[in-house]
Amino acid sequence: MASEVSQAQVEGDQPVGQSKSWIDYIQKDLPEHLDWWPYTLGAIPLTLFGLLVITGLLLTFYYVPSPDKAYESIEQITNEVYLGWFVRGVHKFSVDLMILFLLFHVIRVFLTRAYQAAGELKWITGSVVLLVTFAMGFTGYSLVYDNVSYWGMTVVTSMLGNLPLVGTPLLYLLRGGEEVSGGTLLRLYDLHTKLLPVLLGGLVLGHVIVVRLVGFVDVPGSRSFHPFYPEHTMLMGAVAVGLLVLIVDLVMIFPPVLGPPANPQEVASDVSPPWYFSAPYMWITLLPGPVALWSLLGAAGLFVLYPFVDRILVQRGWPMAIINAVVGAAVVGVVVVLMILDTRM
Amino acid sequence: MAVIHDDIGRRRFLSQAVMGFGLLFGLGTLALRFIQFLVPSPGPKRVGAVLIGAESRVPMGEAVSLDLSGHKILVLRTDEGVVAFSRRCTDLGCLVSWNKEREQFLCPCHQGVFDKTGRNIAGPPPRPLDRFEVVKRGEHLYVSIQSV
Repeated sequence: MASEVSQAQVEGDQPVGQSKSWIDYIQKDLPEHLDWWPYTLGAIPLTLFGLLVITGLLLTFYYVPSPDKAYESIEQITNEVYLGWFVRGVHKFSVDLMILFLLFHVIRVFLTRAYQAAGELKWITGSVVLLVTFAMGFTGYSLVYDNVSYWGMTVVTSMLGNLPLVGTPLLYLLRGGEEVSGGTLLRLYDLHTKLLPVLLGGLVLGHVIVVRLVGFVDVPGSRSFHPFYPEHTMLMGAVAVGLLVLIVDLVMIFPPVLGPPANPQEVASDVSPPWYFSAPYMWITLLPGPVALWSLLGAAGLFVLYPFVDRILVQRGWPMAIINAVVGAAVVGVVVVLMILDTRM
Repeated sequence: MAVIHDDIGRRRFLSQAVMGFGLLFGLGTLALRFIQFLVPSPGPKRVGAVLIGAESRVPMGEAVSLDLSGHKILVLRTDEGVVAFSRRCTDLGCLVSWNKEREQFLCPCHQGVFDKTGRNIAGPPPRPLDRFEVVKRGEHLYVSIQSV
């Protein structure tokens, strides 16, 4: 219903046979449900991604990707460089908030089943954005080269090395040799500052274009409209400014810290990764290796392909709205329990 | 002579298919070479015995940690003699430490536990710790390792 109305309205404004100018694109009408915050959560990670690109570029001017210098240069950024601690802090909190809001966004899309027909590509590009963001998180905290970074690199690359067939070449590819070494740090640095940002930027752009082409999710009853520019843009701008204030406050209250330097001879006393890897970390601790690895890979695959799983189950008459609510609640519950377990151990 | 037109479509298709496959093959080979460039090959392995000192240097019931050309090992002396284990946890490659009170090797990363014979007894490790051969020549102990 809503889509028919929106089609009619958009076409009604448009003289037949005349090509659209860029004004029409930025003044596109948005359905009224986009005024409700859960439907706008995607714009927040987008804003934070921009902030991460800027602060990340600044950090590369001081960071040195070699085992002798990496930790030292982070120490220099944190303690000596003018406002270095602030730039590093903004970079750190932007990642935390980007992942947090990506997760909120995923939960909203999952619960409203916005990935249904015509929206599959929105979901697939978005889910890959999430996975690449996790990869950015991992490569990023490896660069700090404190003891948690070092053993994190060891554990994650070993896990990938356990994969059948591709495992061993992948291990050598990531480590640049048999062991975690200076070569590993350089490779992760290249991934974090070159390959993955380009990939992530492309995916984010693709996701936005797909959302723009396919259109927003239909919400029954959402009939009236407001233009993308200026109303919606102003709202997004206000949210972005609010986020910036929040991040600045967080950095002031919790300035970035640095753990003890990497020590290949002694495992860190607490090897807990950042909060967003806390749940998978406990998962691999509690379950035997192959089970943990395959369940994580399987879950990632299922996650990316979920729109098609949904479609098949709907054809068999499953009540997907209820199932999604139950599955969503169960996954969030398990993740929270695993995170609490991690803080206790 | 009549010009036969009915196989133009097929001829074009075949020619494009051959060129297309050729192009894909060429690009695929190039991509494969690029990946091979990125994946370093393992160096040659040499087996050698490394002198680690006199047996009396290792106190009874304790394990001495050594780094022999990249191999992190623990030399443990018990009533049954001297044994050398790799410190690399067989789960995900963290380093195990010897706990004297419990007489076990513990891995702090994911709570893996090995007994004094190196057997995996608790936690995620899938197999026992790697063992190195210890040779005694006179008073001196040697550990056989594969060096790169």
